[in-house]
Amino acid sequence: MKYAFYPGCVSRGGCPELYPSAVKVAQKLEVELEELKDVGCTGAGVLPQYLSDPINARTFAKAEGLGLPIMTICSTCQGVMAQANYRLKSDPAYREKINREYLAEEGLEYRGTTEVKHLLWILFEDYGLDRLKSLIRRPLKGLKVSPFYGCFLRRPPEAITPTKELSRRKNYLDELIEILGADLVDISGKGKCCGFPILTASEENSLAMVAKHTGESKEKGADCMVTPCPLCHLNLDGNQPRAQAVRGEKIDLPIIHLPQFVGLALGFDPEEMQLKRHIVSTRVVESRVEMLA
Amino acid sequence: MQITFKVYRKDPEGNGKPGRSEYTVDLSDDATVMDGLLKIRDELDGTLAFRASCLRGYCGECTMRISGKSTFACTAKVSAFTKKGPEIALDPIRNIPVIKDLVFDWDAFLWNKIKAVKPWLEPREGPANEEHRLPDAVMKDLRQVMSCYYCGLCDEGCTVLPVDFDFLGPAALTKAYRVAFDPRDRDGKERLRIAEQPKGVWDCVHCFEASEHCPRGIAPTERIVALRDKAFQMGISHEKVARHHQSFAASVKESGWVDEGRLAVESEGLTNIKGLMKLLPTAAKALVRGKAPLPYVHSKRPGADRIKKIFEKGERERK
Ligand code: SF4
Repeated sequence: MKYAFYPGCVSRGGCPELYPSAVKVAQKLEVELEELKDVGCTGAGVLPQYLSDPINARTFAKAEGLGLPIMTICSTCQGVMAQANYRLKSDPAYREKINREYLAEEGLEYRGTTEVKHLLWILFEDYGLDRLKSLIRRPLKGLKVSPFYGCFLRRPPEAITPTKELSRRKNYLDELIEILGADLVDISGKGKCCGFPILTASEENSLAMVAKHTGESKEKGADCMVTPCPLCHLNLDGNQPRAQAVRGEKIDLPIIHLPQFVGLALGFDPEEMQLKRHIVSTRVVESRVEMLA
Repeated sequence: MQITFKVYRKDPEGNGKPGRSEYTVDLSDDATVMDGLLKIRDELDGTLAFRASCLRGYCGECTMRISGKSTFACTAKVSAFTKKGPEIALDPIRNIPVIKDLVFDWDAFLWNKIKAVKPWLEPREGPANEEHRLPDAVMKDLRQVMSCYYCGLCDEGCTVLPVDFDFLGPAALTKAYRVAFDPRDRDGKERLRIAEQPKGVWDCVHCFEASEHCPRGIAPTERIVALRDKAFQMGISHEKVARHHQSFAASVKESGWVDEGRLAVESEGLTNIKGLMKLLPTAAKALVRGKAPLPYVHSKRPGADRIKKIFEKGERERK
């Protein structure tokens, strides 16, 4: 099993704990990764389409050349690439134009066959739950966990629908929490926006969203929240101290990256998953895990 | 079949507290939720308040939450909601002040906001002698937007409204799109300016909830993104957002990926001491944990020159 690995900017920038934990987990699962090193940022919805579509087409062409599907570890990378890929796949004339104007010079061509999949989807659809279950070394019994998906793993539907799994995809994280032995603490905002995109324009609203989601999870008794999106992580973890001030009460809810969460169940120590790098202390999670060890 | 409706009431006991009333009615197998409501009102409780008008899924008046799902009561079959048992919960849609029971405040919810974007065309010159012709593609696009029901389902799904009711919201901003993208309007710029005020397009998180909720396939989220892009092109922009976008583009152009440290600093503005100070506590914490990306200490990715070429070409063509 092999993927062209697209780690994205944040897993090596603002969330440097994400990249190594994803790589370690992939190794343990015996999923082979060939990292796409000479490709650009997806544009993250900030770059206009006329720039990000050619940049992403270039990434898809490189993976196509390797004959591999792309694995992402970020809901935003996943969403932006899926939308670009949807446009490029469904409109051959547009794809040709981009090939001609941007890729040909480098000797590249995107034929429209690359698949882009988030690690979360890969676990369910390619890897298989039975195989995953057989590798669990530390069922996360008693750990109470809320899911938080990140918008782009759920919407827009047309970028996700080409697969029959759409409706189930909306529930994978909930399912995974229980598969890994933890207790699911459902929250109403799990599929909503974390507020990150408006941190610049409307900080107050952004922080209010952080307070709302983490506050609800905490109220319902969660020990932590798990997210497949490092941008959600930046806001929910990094800005939680400021969001607490908005809410006027302590929240202190650790936010765990998806690969870290899987890694803990596979038997990695919190240290190996670099939990200490988070802004909100992960002590609760660490001590639970130690008790289970 | 006997169906029990558990309906939200704003003040059933007259003590200022909301509650629920339960009504059991006998309905045919193909009945709609609206059939149930009308029967309740006619036969059991004339004080139950709800809105209804066209009764065929066209006017958007009877938008409500049916066992948690927001939709129109007049087209929702009862049988679709009773698979787990003969009970249906009815609630007013979220994010909106309730006047009574299932009747919410349309003015506060939608009309005031729609009015705020000046939803009318102002012709370029005086009355024309002949009709204004529009290219087919433009008209097709606008017609889709004009098919809006004003049902409010997009606002119901909105992520921003629950934390900030003053946000214009997807329905009103979609209306702004309708005018701003109409070539017949004298000054599409005017609507862009309104839309880009605080509580306008820059407050949208583009989470695509609105598009997912819209029963007409109008794609309100995409319309808001288009308004933003157009505002940018015309040089109308939120100051801080513009800095953010410029910094983002500059670092990807130079190195192939985002320099997050630089992005944080430049978004605040290099001379904005107060803004920069605000970053310090988080930056300090992140530094201690070895995760603060230092601004401008950012290596080029392999292939960065190729990315730069894409930028140069794209930018040239846009000019
Ligand atoms: S844009 Fe769609 S969801 Fe929003 S009010 Fe119009 S028809 Fe309803």
